[in-house]
Amino acid sequence: MFTCKDSIHSLLEYVDGELSEAQAAELREHLRACPPCVDFLQSYKATPKLARRALVDDMPRELAGKLKAFLRTKLSSK
Amino acid sequence: MTDRRVPLTTDGSAGTVRTPAMSDAALEDRALLDRAQAGDMEGFEALVERHEDRLYGLALRMTRSEADAAEVVQDTFLAAYQNLKNFRGEAAFGSWVHRIAANNALMRLRHQRVVDAVTEELRAPEFTERGSLAEVPEVDWSRRADEKVLDEELGRAIRQGTDALPQGYREVFLLKDVEGLSYEEISEMMGISVPAVKSRLHRARLALREEIDAFYKEV
Repeated sequence: MFTCKDSIHSLLEYVDGELSEAQAAELREHLRACPPCVDFLQSYKATPKLARRALVDDMPRELAGKLKAFLRTKLSSK
Repeated sequence: MTDRRVPLTTDGSAGTVRTPAMSDAALEDRALLDRAQAGDMEGFEALVERHEDRLYGLALRMTRSEADAAEVVQDTFLAAYQNLKNFRGEAAFGSWVHRIAANNALMRLRHQRVVDAVTEELRAPEFTERGSLAEVPEVDWSRRADEKVLDEELGRAIRQGTDALPQGYREVFLLKDVEGLSYEEISEMMGISVPAVKSRLHRARLALREEIDAFYKEV
């Protein structure tokens, strides 16, 4: 029997479109009868999108200034 | 132990040919690159300014050290400048320097690699004996990913969750889901098989999903 555990185990390949037709059909059938797994799938797909937005770190301006000065010194001597 | 990772190409030849449909940003990069390749230092400095924040963000998340991140960015732009003449422009400049930075960060971290020892620390969903989800998701937060403004507290939780991932999992997650590298590129850079890359990515996503879910349960 196809379980939630099987469903979640195959999410990466499902999202990538790499499951075989038979495997994808089995997963879809499970999802039709399992709202928690549908929610899980949605949140699994949302995770990278949220991470991309959260993981933006601007370089501190002081550091950017030092980088510019370093590159000028280093590259002007080449 | 032998380090199987291979140095990243510095001529941009591994990237995608995007000439027919380059974005405005890529076209501006291309113009600046032409100037830099002709010896115009200001052109190169403008490229540095355009890409330093994202490179720093990547390096900081990978190394978890401001000092290391600063050095990764510095080394990356030095390497880029030294290889400007060889850069054929088949890849976008941004993709090219991001790959150099990712490789620099990986090389810097290679002696700290302790992936296998910490696998059990990854958070993951729990199941009943019959294989059903032990906990039903209480809040559907998936739509938050499309909202214009990202909640500051959520952003902090995601950064902490990412930083808490074991190194090899964090690297794969950042390179694939944040930087957009292919499985094959990551496999080559990290010296692990494509199935291993996919396995780590899946477990990293599950762990981070758990962190975000926990955040929404608390608010």
